[in-house]
Amino acid sequence: MLHHMLVARGIDDEAALLQNQGAVDLWLSCRGQEAAQVASAMAVGEAAVIFPSYREHAVAVVRGVDAVSLVAQWAGRTYCGWNPRRHRLFPYTLVVAAQTLHAVGYAIGMRIKNAAETVVVYIGDGATSEGDMSEAMNLAAVESAQVLFICQNNGWAISKPSREQSLTSIAARANGFGIRSWSVPADDPVATYLHCLEARHHVETTGSPGLIELQTTRIGGHSSSDSHASYRDPEELAAAAAGDPVTRYRQRLLRARIVDADWLDRVDAEVAIARRRLVAEFGR
Amino acid sequence: MTPETPTCLAEAINGALHHLMAGDESVVLIGQDIGRLGGVFRVTRGLQKRFGDSRVRDALLAESSIVGQAIGMALCGLKPICEIQFEGFIYPAMNQIVTQAARITTRWNEDQPLHLVIRIPVGGGIRAVEHHSESNEAYFAHTPGLHVAFPSCPTDAATMLEYSCNLGTPVVFFEPKRLYWNRKRQLRDESEPRSALGARTVRRGSDITVVAYGAVLEEVLAAGNQLAGTVDIEVVDLRWIAPMDTDTVLASVRRTGRLLVVHEAVGFGGVGAELVAIVAERGSHDLKSPMRRLAPPRRVYPPAEDENTYLIGVPDIVGAIKEMCG
Repeated sequence: MLHHMLVARGIDDEAALLQNQGAVDLWLSCRGQEAAQVASAMAVGEAAVIFPSYREHAVAVVRGVDAVSLVAQWAGRTYCGWNPRRHRLFPYTLVVAAQTLHAVGYAIGMRIKNAAETVVVYIGDGATSEGDMSEAMNLAAVESAQVLFICQNNGWAISKPSREQSLTSIAARANGFGIRSWSVPADDPVATYLHCLEARHHVETTGSPGLIELQTTRIGGHSSSDSHASYRDPEELAAAAAGDPVTRYRQRLLRARIVDADWLDRVDAEVAIARRRLVAEFGR
Repeated sequence: MTPETPTCLAEAINGALHHLMAGDESVVLIGQDIGRLGGVFRVTRGLQKRFGDSRVRDALLAESSIVGQAIGMALCGLKPICEIQFEGFIYPAMNQIVTQAARITTRWNEDQPLHLVIRIPVGGGIRAVEHHSESNEAYFAHTPGLHVAFPSCPTDAATMLEYSCNLGTPVVFFEPKRLYWNRKRQLRDESEPRSALGARTVRRGSDITVVAYGAVLEEVLAAGNQLAGTVDIEVVDLRWIAPMDTDTVLASVRRTGRLLVVHEAVGFGGVGAELVAIVAERGSHDLKSPMRRLAPPRRVYPPAEDENTYLIGVPDIVGAIKEMCG
């Protein structure tokens, strides 16, 4: 997991720099959400089709999407830089929550074809205010669709804080639709992985939906065009940066001697290659 | 189940759906009340009994979820055909149609066909309540990535539906309500469209080209009969709003020198405006008189008591043709 988190961070850093130089048009950083994304993507396994939202860069890394393919759409080259079938990661959906209904329909469709399988859909906290999200949860519940909803709650829908978005947690709302749900802190990849594994197990063994709310942290702005310092307290931003899950997990594994300096050097070298490829492809 | 010569639109569509489902097990139907009830217009009658409730699915009362789940089904290799109960209830699904269905093939770098048909009963003249009588095809015609079908007779409805189901591009398929169970039709000249997506010349004439589609075509043909002996009108049934077979219209206008477009939808920003603009650009040298459109004003569809004044009737069409050819 640390490997994928470090690669995702490297891509994120380079894409942000390229955006700053005008070589990439827009970048939606996943900085701070790497633990939630890598752990959940690994827990659902390689087989599940994933319907992402638009910030799931670390999920894409887990699914083997290379840096250039990942950044291509943010540099105006395409609307999807990877082969969705090969990576079993469908294209990003920018109209939030629209993909929730696609995921439920896909799961129902596979059952009609007598080939039921678990389908995964990612949404953010902001998307849960959309009508499609409620329709998808209700449809999944009433049809007993084999769908795992993974909601990354990073506390902000651009500038609207979670507490102003709804009175209940998204996990509580899922319960209201008759969907089993979990709400867990997701800065620690190991605990997040185990929680997501449990959620996946529920969906697979019952053939019914589940929703896991991953409480995560957006360290950056919503996008490269967003000056989030204008609506977030300096203390909150400092705490977010200090709690960086990538740095903490790196230190933890190093201290526990699960990884060593050589291993980290090898990953750093790999990240450096990915970053050089981004610069070569998009830099100007 | 399928009559040899379909006698009305509803039966023809029902027959086509039976044929499609029997021949291809990836075809599934989703819509409100289409199963047990057979649909509010009974177009899907008998289908659930024959093909089961897994393939003929009574949907929740949520249009966005009907189209949204159908997109997911299409992505997993099925060919969903959705039914929306009335054109006035399509709007909750607009986001799924316009921002998703219409764009998915492009978003997937042309590597993913999307077999998806959205059947929508359309139009007025049936003394219905608010939201049950309108014609909103222009919204869909304006959206790249969508095909828009608008048949005017049972035979076309069946063949166009079968074509749509296997097209691989989302089709918004309009079904004129007042033709569903109408068995009295004006006679038409037999002619074949130049392609599956082509328009059809349903009456040959030399003085004026009248283009229409859907239910109002019956009124246009009736007007043609009334004028027979005085004005010789050619009638083109557009059949598809998008893509639009403007070549057939241009070829006709080249012969007649006059163009009248008639439709039931509001004229402003409508299909007639597009057609007239194209003929202005590419065929104005063939024109003997200014082109005209006959369509309702940009006004909310009135309560049933007033709909006959609002809709285009045979006298309106006769009057316009006389003025243009006078």
